[in-house]
Amino acid sequence: MRNPFSGVRSLYARRPIPVILGAVIVVLCFLWGTSPGWQAATLRLAVPIALAAIGGIFAEKSGVINIGIEGLLIVSAFSSIIVTYWLGAGESTLAISHHWWGLLAGVLVSTLFAFLFAIVCIEFKADQIIAGLALWLIALGLAPFISRIVFNSPNTAGVGRFEDVTIPLLSDLPLIGHLLFDTPPQVYIMLGAIAVGWYVFNRTSFGRWVVASGENPKALDTAGVDVRKVRYAAVILSGVFAGLGGAGFALGYLETFAGGGDTAMQGRGFIAIATYLLANYHPIGALGGAFLFAGLDALQIRLQTAGYAVPTELIRTVPHMTVIVVLVLIGRTRLPEAAGENYESGED
Amino acid sequence: MRRRFERLLRRLLRASVLERIAISIAALVASMLIGVVLVFVAGGFASCRVGLDVAGWTFCYNPMQVYYELFLGALGHPLEAGWHPLNFWMAKTLQQTTLLIFTGLSFAVAYRAGLFNIGTQGQLVVGSLTTAVTVLYAAAVVPGGLVGMLILIPLGVLAGAVAGGFFGAIPGALKAYGGANEVITTIMLNFIAVGITSTLLSWKFQDPNSSNPKTAPVPEYAEIPTIPYVGFDDSVSFSLLALAFAVALMIGITWLLTRTSFGYELRTSGTQPEAAAYGGVDEKRMTVASMTLSGAIGGIAGAFWVLMVHGNWLKNVPALGFDGIAVSILASNNPLGIGVSALLFGTLESGSQNISTATDVPPELVGILSGLIILFVAMPEFFRMIGGRYVDVGNRDPVRADGGETAGDDGGEADA
Repeated sequence: MRNPFSGVRSLYARRPIPVILGAVIVVLCFLWGTSPGWQAATLRLAVPIALAAIGGIFAEKSGVINIGIEGLLIVSAFSSIIVTYWLGAGESTLAISHHWWGLLAGVLVSTLFAFLFAIVCIEFKADQIIAGLALWLIALGLAPFISRIVFNSPNTAGVGRFEDVTIPLLSDLPLIGHLLFDTPPQVYIMLGAIAVGWYVFNRTSFGRWVVASGENPKALDTAGVDVRKVRYAAVILSGVFAGLGGAGFALGYLETFAGGGDTAMQGRGFIAIATYLLANYHPIGALGGAFLFAGLDALQIRLQTAGYAVPTELIRTVPHMTVIVVLVLIGRTRLPEAAGENYESGED
Repeated sequence: MRRRFERLLRRLLRASVLERIAISIAALVASMLIGVVLVFVAGGFASCRVGLDVAGWTFCYNPMQVYYELFLGALGHPLEAGWHPLNFWMAKTLQQTTLLIFTGLSFAVAYRAGLFNIGTQGQLVVGSLTTAVTVLYAAAVVPGGLVGMLILIPLGVLAGAVAGGFFGAIPGALKAYGGANEVITTIMLNFIAVGITSTLLSWKFQDPNSSNPKTAPVPEYAEIPTIPYVGFDDSVSFSLLALAFAVALMIGITWLLTRTSFGYELRTSGTQPEAAAYGGVDEKRMTVASMTLSGAIGGIAGAFWVLMVHGNWLKNVPALGFDGIAVSILASNNPLGIGVSALLFGTLESGSQNISTATDVPPELVGILSGLIILFVAMPEFFRMIGGRYVDVGNRDPVRADGGETAGDDGGEADA
């Protein structure tokens, strides 16, 4: 079956400038035609999806399918909230607001979990899908477990949110000024991470190693690069990015962590996986996909608050249904050749 | 020559079954050990009046006590005076075991066909609401008493199976004909199942006499009966008949997988998709069929949850489907092994309710433990390395030399 998106891709390869211009025009039309509140909500809701997707791209491109990315979002969101709470929300240490220390803690915890996942998958050759599933289930139990010890409830106390960062002059730009330059810090982190991701994959030798490690580890090995180290680095990077996403979302949007049921992350890690599959592992495409799902999410929240007589529970499933539709449309995305397989140097 | 080869194969197969049992037990022990550390450390952050004082830091939880309550509490404290085998906690344990056999089988059937059905939870949710609604509507036209019971219970179970099977067929068809990865679609369908059922509930099926989100109770005679004198008393929602049905289904699935051509096709399409296709197995149809079967078993789990445990459908469905994944993986997806591992997880589940009443430790501990068990079972290499350090695993090296490369492959877990 032909991939319906391959046309767009080959068009982009042949004529990049008109395609980019067209995309800019489409984006501008959206900016002009939709309400600023919905745009701002979309931008904030895209944070965990886009960052987790970038992380997922690194891991999967290197040959390690990290389906536990939802678990990384959960642990980072939870630990960032709880560290901010312990330090005292609204205060600061060493002239740095405790929200930022919380963010750092969230990223560290998520990175630690990703490192353990890397050991399990690379050192002990675990089945990556099952190990990822286990990572998710452990996080799903761990967050409410600790929350109950500290707060006597699966939900944490509120810690407030990051203050918006306003960049003078740029924030006065029409249309995008208020949206992009007068916005909470996690949005800058997201945009920066996308740029970093794009740069690493397209302009650095590490990026090429990651791709080679997923496509043809043997060739990479022959070229004298340690496949294991590349995979470790890629999986750890997925922990860093997912940590930024989870902690940034928790401290910049949620302000608290609900540990019941699917937790406050509500499967955004899995939506991120669908997002990078949709974007065929392209960081900028992943940002676009994150906007798509975040926009749907923002829309359903606005429909709920606007008091339309539509059942809210059903609307809440719209992003999830979209994931399925997207997967069916682009289901034939080619995984990296060696994704899901363990590689051992010296075997043949 | 050939006979010697066959004998060698048979010995290997037996060794691998033993090895899997050993790995499962080792995984269990390893996760318990991590649990001990976790509980102890967590106790340092909790607040309490009495605890273990170490260097000015009070550790509130005693891991030994937690595990005592977890395992022996789940059996009703057999070491204490006045214990009776048919006690309340025992019934709770067996009740959970019954439900987990179904959800474990649901995951295992799909896994044997090479598919990850993470959606048992959603299939259970959809199946259970269908069961409750079907029985409620049918009860209006069916006579009461024994006749009603004999009609309504099979009807309810069938309704749950059909709805769950349909909900399982969706990701199967999406995988077969759209190429959509079933891991993601089934997880998404779990969220969708919650959305659909709560919408349906508030739209039509909400019990008008209750402020909680739930359906009206099914008539008393539609609940799965306990056997008088032999079984547990009526105050606990557990029926030996239900457990017997679960065990029968377990044996039935084993028979289906090992003795029928359908089972053969299912297993080969899981372990050797190319060979199966070469041998004339329609892989797409097999994908849909195995996901449908898997979903139907998930739906049956939902039917028993409604007809045995609650007597109505509640919006907060417990995470039986996810626990089923752990049950099945611990049993290395062997239908008969699922009985043992469901009993273990049933104990953990009922024990977790016991630790939340008898200790201050959060019951979410059990969720962490089951995640850890899955993690450890996923990495047999870990235990092989540890084991190889202390025991001389003599016959492994020659095995490695001719076919050792597959040791870490996913094909290894899928056949048994």
